[in-house]
Amino acid sequence: MHYPVRGGVFRRARQVCKAVDGVSFALDEGETLGLVGESGCGKSTVAKSVVRLLQPTAGSIHFEGQDITRSGAGDLRRFRREMQMVFQDPAESLNSRHTIGQILEEPFVIQKLGTTTERIEWSADLLRRVGLPEDSRNRYPFEFSGGQRQRIGIARALALKPRLIVCDEPVSALDVSVQAQVLNLLLELQNDFKLAYLFIAHDLSVVQHMSDRVAVMYLGKIVELAPAGELYRNPHHAYTKALLDAIPEADPSRRRERTLLKGDVPSPINPPEGCAFGHRMRHPRWQESVGMDLRLRELAPGHWVQPCPCCVE
Amino acid sequence: MTETLLEVRDLRVGFQTERGLLTAVDEVDFILESGKMMGLVGESGCGKSVTARALMRLLEQPSGRVLQGEVLLDGRDILTLPLAAMRKIRGKEIAMIFQEPMTALNPVHRVGRQIVENILLHQEIGKNAALKRAVELMEWVGIPAPDERINDYPHQLSGGMRQRVMIAMALSCNPRILIADEPTTALDVTVQAQILDLIKRIQKDTGMAVILITHDLAVVAETCDEVAVMYAGRIVERGPVETVFRSPLHPYTKGLMGCLPKLDHPPKTMLPIIPGMVPGLRDLPVGCRFAARCPNPHGDEVLAERQPWKECGGGHGVEACACFANTI
Repeated sequence: MHYPVRGGVFRRARQVCKAVDGVSFALDEGETLGLVGESGCGKSTVAKSVVRLLQPTAGSIHFEGQDITRSGAGDLRRFRREMQMVFQDPAESLNSRHTIGQILEEPFVIQKLGTTTERIEWSADLLRRVGLPEDSRNRYPFEFSGGQRQRIGIARALALKPRLIVCDEPVSALDVSVQAQVLNLLLELQNDFKLAYLFIAHDLSVVQHMSDRVAVMYLGKIVELAPAGELYRNPHHAYTKALLDAIPEADPSRRRERTLLKGDVPSPINPPEGCAFGHRMRHPRWQESVGMDLRLRELAPGHWVQPCPCCVE
Repeated sequence: MTETLLEVRDLRVGFQTERGLLTAVDEVDFILESGKMMGLVGESGCGKSVTARALMRLLEQPSGRVLQGEVLLDGRDILTLPLAAMRKIRGKEIAMIFQEPMTALNPVHRVGRQIVENILLHQEIGKNAALKRAVELMEWVGIPAPDERINDYPHQLSGGMRQRVMIAMALSCNPRILIADEPTTALDVTVQAQILDLIKRIQKDTGMAVILITHDLAVVAETCDEVAVMYAGRIVERGPVETVFRSPLHPYTKGLMGCLPKLDHPPKTMLPIIPGMVPGLRDLPVGCRFAARCPNPHGDEVLAERQPWKECGGGHGVEACACFANTI
């Protein structure tokens, strides 16, 4: 996903922002793929491209074997039944002037499903399923707490019985005690409906907890992809190691000296050639990664790493 | 050798609203010793930020006010000081940094000028000397090329760098106490680690005391010496970090620690949860405020009466609700 960055008198595209660059992955039925990385690494851009809220610059997205990258509006409407999204801030992703009933029935209206009575019945079912009282139907989003609003967002995503839900930072706006409730709800629903999740968060412990496999993104690229436990036990890429090392642990007996990263995440506008992380760390062997084929390589079964000489031993 | 630097006694803070008086902080006590780092931890609305603002006398006006209690700095109650005297304490004795440095910094002034302003306010030195000091401070907090960055506007800096500027400002007059209100919540984990490391390092170098306000138990476990856990306006448990994390007593502290996803746990397992949600401030019981979400069996009497505070040795204390008091 590349964005032109316009500037100058004639607003010509002068630079390219490579928000996401050469990312490939596959997701199975009932599986959760976690996507983790710092802000600006392109995780939300991936999420929005997958459900076609953004039109990718190049590459393709296949859903059940069908290429949906260039589907027209009609086809897209059909596919959107199968793939839904849960957003970070439930306060902003729910229309504040609609009742919960209206919010939950809208997917059926758009898809022209059911009669009015059926829609009411279905939305009541949805509320029950996510653990909210049925009389919530006639209330407005502001009457609910953050955790309850996120439940409403999840209910809306469930309405059309999708096969894939893209969760973009679904718990980062919630309190710790409520976060655990919502994570449990997502796990339950996955079990009951055989849902696949693309689960995006900046908190590696949350992603690790929710996922079968985890992909680590840095500056628009996946640098490592591995089964969740494996990634934590046996990280290969230097960026994954740095990310894991930066996570504070709720156990004072395990305090340790950290290897602190220097500097900030660089801008994706005109990113460095070769391995971006090696470049940030000024690694002596970074130069070797320039011009190299940096596509992920399978080092162990299911464990894929960007094979740059600077970050992988 | 430690000595009491700041003592908060029976602090109660309320907000006058259209629907009556809301008590946001209810009889909070704690002692901050010099050179110590204390974590004040709790979920949103528990009163941790209000407590901090009350110490600085920066409560939202005119609705917020301190209803009772004392805040003793070197044994002197700063809540009753005249405003002019308080202004001398703010920034000089007690400095504060906030969660979102973009809103705390003035967007139309260069960052250097904002640091200099604070220095000139509290110290009798010339403008050039202040400017030189500002560059030194920026270097100290790890801002690269400080003599150039000093001319930047806040929007030209990244979130981590802005927080460093805030810290430089806070440190400019060598305060004895730094109150850090969610200083790393808006930052990425790698930058969070840098900023926490910086605060810790400066605290060691200068011997200042720090009150770190956060919702993140892990941040407290990593950085603090003492911890106080707040729930619905009250401190429910407090003590040395090692003790509280190793053997938490209050069911809320236990629940909060249990419901964190941990890196070394098997993925996709159900987390232990605290049912329900943080209560609103309007209809809180006199007694145990956690009772509605508490997993322990309890009678109605724990709601009717304020549950006693119990010291368990080594500075570890807890609001000993009847539902678990006999197990301590």
